[in-house]
Amino acid sequence: MYDQPALEKKLDNDTIKIAASGVQVYYGEAHAIKDVNVQIQDKTVTAFIGPSGCGKSTFLRTLNRMNDTIDICRVEGKILLDGEDIYDPRVDPVQLRAKVGMVFQKPNPFPKSIYDNVAYGPRIHGLAKNKADLDEIVEKALRRGAIWNEVKDRLHAPGTGLSGGQQQRLCIARAVATEPEVLLMDEPCSALDPIATSQVEELIDELRTNYSVVIVTHSMQQAARVSQKTAFFHLGNLVEFGDTSQIFTNPKDPRTESYITGRIG
Amino acid sequence: MTDATQFGAEAPKPKTSILELDKRTRKRNAAETRFRYYGMAAVAVGVIFLVVLLGTIVRNGIPAFTQTYITLNVELPAAKLDKKGNRDPAEIAKVTTFGYNGIISDALVTALKDNGVQSDMKDADLRKMLSSSAAAQIRDAVLADPSIIGTTQSFRLLASSRVDGYLKGRVTRESLARDKNLDAAHLDIVDQLQKAGVVSRSFNWSFIFGADASESRPEQAGIGVSMLGSLFMMLVVLCLSLPIGVAASIYLEEFAPKNRFTDLIEVNISNLAAVPSIVFGILGLAVFIQFVHLPQSAPLVGGLVLTLMTLPTIIISTRAALKAVPPSIRDAALGVGASKMQAVFHHVLPLAMPGILTGTIIGLAQALGETAPLLLIGMIGYIASTPPDGIISGFLSPNSAMPAQIYEWAKRADPAYYERAWGGIIILLIFLMTMNIIAIILRRRFERRW
Amino acid sequence: MPASWIFLIVVVLAAIGYVLARGRALASAQGDSRHLHSLPSYYGMNAALLTAIPALILLGLWLIAQPVFVEKRAEAFIPADAYESAGQLSLMMSDVHRIAAGLDAAVAQGVLTEAAVTRLSAADDVRGQLGKVGVALGSDVDAAELEAARSFRSLSHTGDLIRDGLVVLLALAGFGWALKQTNKDFRARNAVEKVIKGLLVLAASLAILTTVGIVLSLLFNTVEFFKLYPAKDFFFGLTWSPSFGGGSELGILPLLWGTLYISLIALLVAVPLGLFAAIYLSEYASPAIRGIAKPLIEVLAGIPTIVYGLFALVTIGPLLMKAFGEQGGLGWMAGGTAVMTAGLAMGIMLIPFVSSLSDDIINAVPQSLRDGSLGLGATKSETIKQVVLPAALPGIVGAVLLAASRAIGETMIVVMGAGAAAKLSLNPFDAMTTVTAKIVSQLTGDADFASPEALVAFSLGMSLFVITLALNIFALWIVRKYREQYE
Repeated sequence: MYDQPALEKKLDNDTIKIAASGVQVYYGEAHAIKDVNVQIQDKTVTAFIGPSGCGKSTFLRTLNRMNDTIDICRVEGKILLDGEDIYDPRVDPVQLRAKVGMVFQKPNPFPKSIYDNVAYGPRIHGLAKNKADLDEIVEKALRRGAIWNEVKDRLHAPGTGLSGGQQQRLCIARAVATEPEVLLMDEPCSALDPIATSQVEELIDELRTNYSVVIVTHSMQQAARVSQKTAFFHLGNLVEFGDTSQIFTNPKDPRTESYITGRIG
Repeated sequence: MTDATQFGAEAPKPKTSILELDKRTRKRNAAETRFRYYGMAAVAVGVIFLVVLLGTIVRNGIPAFTQTYITLNVELPAAKLDKKGNRDPAEIAKVTTFGYNGIISDALVTALKDNGVQSDMKDADLRKMLSSSAAAQIRDAVLADPSIIGTTQSFRLLASSRVDGYLKGRVTRESLARDKNLDAAHLDIVDQLQKAGVVSRSFNWSFIFGADASESRPEQAGIGVSMLGSLFMMLVVLCLSLPIGVAASIYLEEFAPKNRFTDLIEVNISNLAAVPSIVFGILGLAVFIQFVHLPQSAPLVGGLVLTLMTLPTIIISTRAALKAVPPSIRDAALGVGASKMQAVFHHVLPLAMPGILTGTIIGLAQALGETAPLLLIGMIGYIASTPPDGIISGFLSPNSAMPAQIYEWAKRADPAYYERAWGGIIILLIFLMTMNIIAIILRRRFERRW
Repeated sequence: MPASWIFLIVVVLAAIGYVLARGRALASAQGDSRHLHSLPSYYGMNAALLTAIPALILLGLWLIAQPVFVEKRAEAFIPADAYESAGQLSLMMSDVHRIAAGLDAAVAQGVLTEAAVTRLSAADDVRGQLGKVGVALGSDVDAAELEAARSFRSLSHTGDLIRDGLVVLLALAGFGWALKQTNKDFRARNAVEKVIKGLLVLAASLAILTTVGIVLSLLFNTVEFFKLYPAKDFFFGLTWSPSFGGGSELGILPLLWGTLYISLIALLVAVPLGLFAAIYLSEYASPAIRGIAKPLIEVLAGIPTIVYGLFALVTIGPLLMKAFGEQGGLGWMAGGTAVMTAGLAMGIMLIPFVSSLSDDIINAVPQSLRDGSLGLGATKSETIKQVVLPAALPGIVGAVLLAASRAIGETMIVVMGAGAAAKLSLNPFDAMTTVTAKIVSQLTGDADFASPEALVAFSLGMSLFVITLALNIFALWIVRKYREQYE
């Protein structure tokens, strides 16, 4: 599995969506991310892998400034989204997050109906002109989330009543509904069973046609299956970044090799 | 599974820069700021209420801690006080306080003359500057030591509440216009006497340690006796609620099987914690006074009622403290062959003790400030004028309690009593604050993180 | 012998039992405590407990039961036509108690002999003779009362004697049995632990006993009340005008209206302020501000209600009068005590209650929901309003209901701030009164406890108890359901 990365779809876009350079993140005294430089391409799935506590999730959260919600967290360095620094004081994180959506580790549907869950983003960002418009956005998002067929008859049932895998796809649909340009996924399958996982993985692969997707994952197999680019994090350092096929077949750094062969983890 | 594919690649959205705020974001941010201000305002209002409340208490209550006295040289003529001249205490006692009024008037007239104060006021009216307790005070001194008859003695006599109020700024010449007790002319005299040092204010120990007085003598009223009443009540509460509360918690937390009976107890405890305190007063009246015939107004009854009221609080906090002791401690004790009972009493209970004490002190503080149930068991309308003369009578003879005394004062017609009520509140709050601080220190000092 | 002596005797016996049993156990193991089943002190404890506990339980029960029994027997001597109401009977019985106490005192001081007491008749100057020993009676003694007092005395004496005998016997029996049990193979620790466990159960059952006590004392008197006053008029009467001379109208509705109106105003003050304060402190405030403001607001909860009552009476009332009374030119308010006065004070009192409950509930909403909303680009306030609060709604409703139950049961603030007149009015600046305030006013003072005017307080208490209990159970149920949702 390692040596056969999902490369059936040609990388059809080489534009750089996000460029991070010299990024340092501190939690109080602790230095969580050390001088990370990475370039994330548009319409590509980029996977962050590495052992627990290596900083991959922290780095992911700096990409849409979710770390702002943690008081003791401090970010240094430059992260450019389409050439604009997202840590520029003029940037409103709210507007940024509309462009850089996020899906979390645990499915977290709001305690509202399925419809309201998906309509939440479009409503707060004012994306729909009227009810019909909103209905259309919701349907489109649910279709993209590959869950439309399962829920179209019960759009007004609570989202918390779905199964785990359905909940996660609902959350993806919810994120997609705001029309983001980048979709960040923080271990989206870690709380799911294998069948649900494969459904979500398939979905991620399809999302690549429209978005730049960044996925944090614990599972090397998953990274190999869904991503075209892979970054390996270790102890807060970005050890190696490159094509997924290269990372898994021909790692340059001994630490990467140790990790993918299971000696550190 | 491939709903998504039918949409294919999207036409790219118009590019927007994240460096420029769009109109909608600006509006949303304004709403955000507003919302935040609402929250800040709510916190501020809460804190302001607290400050105003405490300010009102201090401003109104501090004057109760000083008292105006009039120092007079009183001539004690043998001709009036001991007509037969044999210094027989029984004979002297026959002269009632009424008989001393003339003496006091004479002393006042002398004091005015000595200090060069002109006044054409009648003697009886002059006396209104003094508390009606003044005559009793002199009489008590004479009875205690009959040898002072025939001499001139210096007495520090309580000024009347109006004069006291004038010195504290509560009473003004305008407010006296409709007062039949005192008029502006008195105040002129007071002004001059104050300059001469005859009228003076000093710290009012008898407010803190003294007894309550009748409705017409607010200047004499003190909270000391009802403080004793509260003390005896708290002793009852402590001696009953701590052991019972701890025993009940140990059972529920360590031994109780999961069955209907323990469920019933649990439900009862959580409901009792929310029963209005006045209902406990009704319980006390019906059970302890009507049924068991315990004496009315007795601190014992008050203590029993407050015990029942505090028990749920103590049980809830004690259980939390027991729960916080990790099971490994119990396992360790059981592992060396201790019985369950020994494990609990030798190991768990001592470790939970700081938490239990903290909860108990907080429960006691609640009980100390509680008023409503005391009203029903007869702790108002009663003038706590004599301190109990022993431990048993401390529990059984009628008394008041601090909050009941404060309520009693607030009800009385004379506005001078408001000052006493606020003063009483200051003392009550000092007690409560001390108890809470002790609880906090206990918690800080002994709190253990497992 | 007074009961306290018997108590002491039992305690001393128990102490002796402890020492003897401990010694006996050691002796049976030839002085080597290793051969004993339990530690030596357990054998002692076992004897002490067996001696004291049954005897003391009997003593306690006897002390409660005997007066009730003697009272009933003595009452039988008073002819049924001598009194008209239960109140009159209870007055006569308190005379009987005084006479009996007087006779006791007379015998103790040697003024009368026991024989003289039995010979005493109503024609003798009983009142005068008792006056000599310091027992003053309000009226002359009639034959029936004297007879009742005599029977009261003799029954009490006999009862006391039997009690003393039985208690000491029971103690001795326990003592003997415990000593007989004691030998090295007896499982003393298990026996003692069983007894201690029994005591623990007893302590825990006190909660049930208290509830039963509350319900019974309310219920009995309520039933008495409904015998004297029709229940229908009580529950649906629109007028409250008690007069101890008779002809009272005792309808609960005006009181309930006052209670609910004041509670409503209190909640209108406390809920928005408390809720917003909780939101600010848990979602926005920096740890430093939270560390200062939260305890400060909670101080409000530690202040006794009497303080709020006085604050309402002396500060809020006059302030409102200035704004809304004659002086303010509006003339809506006739006096300082009003629904508004009490409601505001109560509202301030409830702020910390609402805010700390809401704080807990808001904190129980999982962070993942907040992240989810923020990750979609919602602002903090949008997240709070559209995700956190709807998720916390059941819990907040529960908190508000708990606060409402507090407000309904609050006594001191309304006694001092709300006024005394029962009124069905919509003007919040009118003086109105509440259920709790009327319980206080009907049960304090020199009311006759058997009159409907005093008994009505128990029915009011019953109504209050039922209403607050229902609200609490409902609120706790909602809160529990809510907590389970996120566990």
